[in-house]
Amino acid sequence: MKEKNNKTHTQHRAKTKNLIIIGVLGLLIVVAFMISMNTGFIKLTPLEVIRTLFGLGTEKQHLILFEFRLPRIIIAVLVGMGLAVSGCVLQGISRNALADPGILGINAGAGLAVMLFISFFPSTAATPVFLLPVLAFFGAGVTAVIIYSLAYKRHEGISPMRLLLTGVAVAAGISSAMIVLTLRLSPENYQFVATWLAGSIWGSNWKFVLSLLPWILVLIPFVFSKARVLNVLNLGDLTATGLGASIEKERRILLAAAVGLAGASVSVSGGIGFVGLIGPHLARQLVGSRHQFLIPAAALTGGLLVLVADTLGRWILQPSEIPAGIVVAVIGAPYFLYLLSRLKD
Amino acid sequence: MSASAEVSAKIEKLTEIKKHSHPIVAVVVLFGGMFALLVAIGLSISFGAADIKLATVWTAVFQFDPDLTQHQIIREIRMPRVLGAAIVGSCFAVSGALMQGMTRNPLADSGLLGLNAGAAFMLALCFALLPGLPYMYLIMYSFLGAGLGVGIVYGVGSMSRGGLTPMRLVLAGAAVSALLGALSEGIALYFRIGQDLAFWYAGGVSGTKWVHLQIMSPWILVAMIGALILSRSITLLSLGEEVAIGLGQRTKTIKLVGMIIVLILAGAAVSVVGAVGFFGLIVPHLTRFLVGHDYRWIIPCSIVLGGLLVVLADLGARMINPPYETPIGALIALIGVPFFLYLARKGGKEL
Amino acid sequence: MSAIKVDQVAIGYSNTLIIDDLSVSIPEKKITTIIGPNGCGKSTLLKAISRVLKTKRGAVYLDGRAIHQLETKEVAKKMAILPQSANAPGGLTVFELVSYGRFPHQSGFGSLKKEDYEYIYWAIDVTGLNEFKDRPVEALSGGQRQRVWIAMALAQDTEILILDEPTTYLDLAHQLDILLLLQRLNEEEGRTIVMVLHDLNHASRFSDYMIAMKNGKLVKEGTPEEVMTCPNLQLVFNIEARIATCPFSDNPICLSYQLCQKDR
Repeated sequence: MKEKNNKTHTQHRAKTKNLIIIGVLGLLIVVAFMISMNTGFIKLTPLEVIRTLFGLGTEKQHLILFEFRLPRIIIAVLVGMGLAVSGCVLQGISRNALADPGILGINAGAGLAVMLFISFFPSTAATPVFLLPVLAFFGAGVTAVIIYSLAYKRHEGISPMRLLLTGVAVAAGISSAMIVLTLRLSPENYQFVATWLAGSIWGSNWKFVLSLLPWILVLIPFVFSKARVLNVLNLGDLTATGLGASIEKERRILLAAAVGLAGASVSVSGGIGFVGLIGPHLARQLVGSRHQFLIPAAALTGGLLVLVADTLGRWILQPSEIPAGIVVAVIGAPYFLYLLSRLKD
Repeated sequence: MSASAEVSAKIEKLTEIKKHSHPIVAVVVLFGGMFALLVAIGLSISFGAADIKLATVWTAVFQFDPDLTQHQIIREIRMPRVLGAAIVGSCFAVSGALMQGMTRNPLADSGLLGLNAGAAFMLALCFALLPGLPYMYLIMYSFLGAGLGVGIVYGVGSMSRGGLTPMRLVLAGAAVSALLGALSEGIALYFRIGQDLAFWYAGGVSGTKWVHLQIMSPWILVAMIGALILSRSITLLSLGEEVAIGLGQRTKTIKLVGMIIVLILAGAAVSVVGAVGFFGLIVPHLTRFLVGHDYRWIIPCSIVLGGLLVVLADLGARMINPPYETPIGALIALIGVPFFLYLARKGGKEL
Repeated sequence: MSAIKVDQVAIGYSNTLIIDDLSVSIPEKKITTIIGPNGCGKSTLLKAISRVLKTKRGAVYLDGRAIHQLETKEVAKKMAILPQSANAPGGLTVFELVSYGRFPHQSGFGSLKKEDYEYIYWAIDVTGLNEFKDRPVEALSGGQRQRVWIAMALAQDTEILILDEPTTYLDLAHQLDILLLLQRLNEEEGRTIVMVLHDLNHASRFSDYMIAMKNGKLVKEGTPEEVMTCPNLQLVFNIEARIATCPFSDNPICLSYQLCQKDR
């Protein structure tokens, strides 16, 4: 009896450790949030930020925080969460460590849609800008559907390996179409598209927050509710079937969720693809590979990464900005390499 | 006892591979391919703004008359370009085949090693900091960049405790590519040179001169011969590291030499035409589809087919919308993507 | 009474049929062993029985109902599978992997309940993995890993256990350990066990019922005494076997064997 208590105790401790890690990640986001609120052309002290947040600041402070910085920060966090969870799902169902939303052609599809739009409606005036996220989302969705149907075989359904290969091929096709388009763009339009592709949180506006929020709020809890299914799918088709998971159905639902998350995120942020790859990997280092912990940890890691990257991007070359996607890769990749070299196997 | 049983089981597997590879098909592919390559080169030389007959091409090569303008055009502009295309194609194809065999990953190509990203990064740096650099130097810096990319990936991989597993190589390659890619994107945005880079890549093999071929060919020749010598070992390695060791291969040496060959071949190709990464991926798949799984056939056939495809792609690029040239990478994707999709549907699991 | 009935099934991958028109009944509450040479379709049959592969013709019936029409989760509560080559994702501990065996019994977010813990600890205990339970699976030896997968199948707590070569990677003592455990589960709790074994003497000693296959066809089924005969073994494996009766268990045992000369 006493021994049994001991056993549950170790399990309990592992759980507590993971909960603490998730808590710390949450705390870091809050810290990054405060710093980010303070970053920009006009300096505000932390006290002023807090005062303004509670409605006690001056009108100018209010304007800066609520109309410029806050929506941007929220979008950065949401985008990071969406991409990381999407990557987490894709790595889980494909059992391939290299899977990320890019594999489903989401970045490429969204990029092509934006590029087509810019090359045929070259006016980068205010009106079409609001159409961009819609188009990007549409492009991402269509590409994902194309890849899925090309990889789908009757009787056999969808094999993860075939999905990856198809994804790579379609993405390669799209990017060469983009090369052709690039040559036709005027330099100004090109610069706009290039910034978009590099992944910058350009949609810093409450409207974009509202268009992104429902996706995140619905799909992340949904994916979280499928944590056990993901655990089991991760064991391979044979074992998963043996354990009673209807793999074909679950895989389709989860793929759709991943496309929704990544598509919505990419539509307001451009191609911050790398978060979807390393977010889940970093989270796995922290909390292990059970999706009950992995999904929240990946969401927080992703959110933190993009928020920090966006803040740094605004700060380093003031007053000009570096796209967050570039900063993410520049911080994320070396850390990822460090982790890789430390791993035993 | 059990070890020897294991080895004998693996030898069985090996003979199976031999059985499943198709030597007759391979010979047909090899010689048919060579013939097609010669015809394609001839056609490609004769086609252009100034129309030249095939017979003239023949005389220009074998009875060169420096006073004839047509002979001059052929010798000075078209021949280096077409030969460059053939060489570049072979380089990409062979390096892709080596990578796939060594990592046992059907998605592997030279881009995976951080090679493309390294070359692109260096090129971006050159465009930003040293504008107006001569073509020759651009190629050399690109090659250096490719080496840098491979160096980082390989260094990180072998510094790690468990040594360089294929999985780790793939992940390190992805991370380094992302890093270098992001840096060149940043540079391109900051200096506003993105489109210039795109034009450079779109130019394909058009700028190739005799000098470049002269400098490149000895290296490439040595590397190609190396690849052919290595091909038997690569076949064994493609069965798995342990199997190869069991059969008496020094896998570490083979991998190192293999990587160096990949670096030379792909580095040279990338620095001339830019990152047409997908190409190195599809040709080995195509070859394997035709001649089976024995790398002693895959590698020579890849040389021929790779050269053939790029020469045709280059010809197509000039024919579609003259006098403008369509980017060669786009054309390769146009042929390659549907084919690759077909392959992925048919098998996809096998290497 | 049969637990599983295989009725005139044809099974295969894309265009090739591995098994054509095979019917067999697996008796309830008995240990059934499938034997046959490599590539004869043993694993394919197990995959069809465990609904991993769909049958092209015919059907597999579990308790009289076609298995493909049953809710897969309901099947998983009745039947657990140990596949031939299972591969765990990195970073999982033994406890975590075994706990996945409770999947079909959970719903919603599914935190582990007291009952779940009991089954998990029981499974870890009977497979002798107590000291390893907090270790990562990839740090274990091949044999220990095999026991973890068996523990996972046990934690699933099913009437039927299907095991594809459960004794590979195990040393002599551990092979016996697993087989004795399966025997105990069968005798004490009346569980139906279906497995593929390569060791004929193990098959004879532990099974109530044997099925011999060759080239996707059923060659012989029956008690070990009926199946383990010289003519049958020659037909199935192309070997000349010397069969004796074990002085301890009265089962037929294969003392030694030679390859048949003519067909090789």
